[in-house]
Amino acid sequence: MDINVLITYIPLYNEALLLTFKIGMLGILTAFAIGLSGAAAVYFKVPVVKKILEIYIELFRNTPLLVQLFFIYFALPKLGIRIDAETCGVLGLGLIGGAYMIETLRSGFESIDKVQSESALSLGMTRRQMFGSIILPQAFSVSMPGIMANVIFLLKETSVFSTISLMDLMFTAKDLIGMYAKTIECLFLLVVYYLIMLLPISVLGSFIERRVRYAQFGD
Amino acid sequence: MKKNLLNKLGTIITSAALLGASLTGCGSAGAENTAASEDVTIADAEVAKAESAEETATVYRTLDEIKESGTINIGVFSDKSPFGYVDENGEYAGYDVYFAEKIGEDLGVKINYVSTEAANRIEYLQTGKVDIILANFTVTEERAQEVDFALPYMNVALGVVSPEDKVIESLDNVGADDKIIVISGTTAETYLEKNYPNIKLQKYDAYAEAKTAFENGNGVAWANDNTEVIAFALENEGYKVGIPSLGSADTIAPAVTKGNETLLTWLNEEIETIGKDNFFHKDYEETLLETYGKDYEDTLVVESGKVQ
Repeated sequence: MDINVLITYIPLYNEALLLTFKIGMLGILTAFAIGLSGAAAVYFKVPVVKKILEIYIELFRNTPLLVQLFFIYFALPKLGIRIDAETCGVLGLGLIGGAYMIETLRSGFESIDKVQSESALSLGMTRRQMFGSIILPQAFSVSMPGIMANVIFLLKETSVFSTISLMDLMFTAKDLIGMYAKTIECLFLLVVYYLIMLLPISVLGSFIERRVRYAQFGD
Repeated sequence: MKKNLLNKLGTIITSAALLGASLTGCGSAGAENTAASEDVTIADAEVAKAESAEETATVYRTLDEIKESGTINIGVFSDKSPFGYVDENGEYAGYDVYFAEKIGEDLGVKINYVSTEAANRIEYLQTGKVDIILANFTVTEERAQEVDFALPYMNVALGVVSPEDKVIESLDNVGADDKIIVISGTTAETYLEKNYPNIKLQKYDAYAEAKTAFENGNGVAWANDNTEVIAFALENEGYKVGIPSLGSADTIAPAVTKGNETLLTWLNEEIETIGKDNFFHKDYEETLLETYGKDYEDTLVVESGKVQ
């Protein structure tokens, strides 16, 4: 392995890391927003919305992200809807992630015993108070491992972005190999940079998990 | 709680260190012998260190080994009409494939076509996944350090195509925010990166995607081999090749894994022999005539490896 090659490539990888992280994080935030509001709608059995959400979840959970990106990036412009590559990446991650997040959070909500909501209501809490102060914190604690798994899954899914011309980590590595054929160096940096991005999140995940589950288990 | 976190951190650091060490090991073994470096797995690398460098180099198959096995693996494009593509019957076809068929026939072996993308071509040879790359592979100095090129069979230069209502005739006129579409791993990409570092490139990893993106108007122009862009402008209305020839005049040749002397010699002899019967003119007439017409025949075709 040639150290000089590594040093010349590092700025390119830094750029790719920033882009991957930026799109990944925006996508995850979108996914979480969709997940939370969607799961709440399913929990309260909002009439029409619930049916629409069911279709949305089945559609996005049962098609690969790659196919969704192809559709958003290459097919929509033919229908006159033009979305730039970065927005497309965020949208794609947000939509597939949202479908997974709804399911994760919904199972969290459903795991809370009916007694809890009935007691809250009979104590005179409004439905909003009941949901915000009783159900949500407990459901969140139960769903946490699932949410963290989704977050890491979504960050790793960014590796299909090369299809839509986004210079993410994976594409940067492939592109450099194609141009200069320094395979070992490029792949080494690729693994290292994915670890740099994902390890702290994995550690942070276990930390948050412990914190939100404090009530449940103590420690 | 702290203990748990520390445990996890410990595991992570150990695994990262292990991975780093194995990759470095792989790299240093590779440094001794560049031809073998790309495909050796971690275990192989350990063995390779012990054995002589000579033995690790044989990721390729010699001419005799290919003949003995009865099949030759040839890497071609599957989405680059009219050079290498899959036709409506699901069969490989095109200028490159026509030549590949001839190679199979004269070697007396069956052909196993391996579909490749521009950026994979060197890798496929270095890892022994294919015996020959016949995927419109332009000969360049950088590539010649990684693979061995046989005699050329086609001329090529770069070209730039743009929409008819906003034709780009010089790369100096490209706006600061305008993007030019290129395919990752092509000579067009390398040329623009080197000579026009200020032009923003939009890179795609496959031909079909770049084409769709260009049709969708994602870039002001598309830079590629001029054969490609000429074909695109002829087949699609509303586009014009504003820059028909850019950079140096290059050639396209078959490539084999670095060091595969027997196969390389055979290929060179084959190209010289079939050139006497004007094989590549026949190839042109069978596969390219429909797209390019008669005008380009003598500019494109190279017979017997002799560039005019």
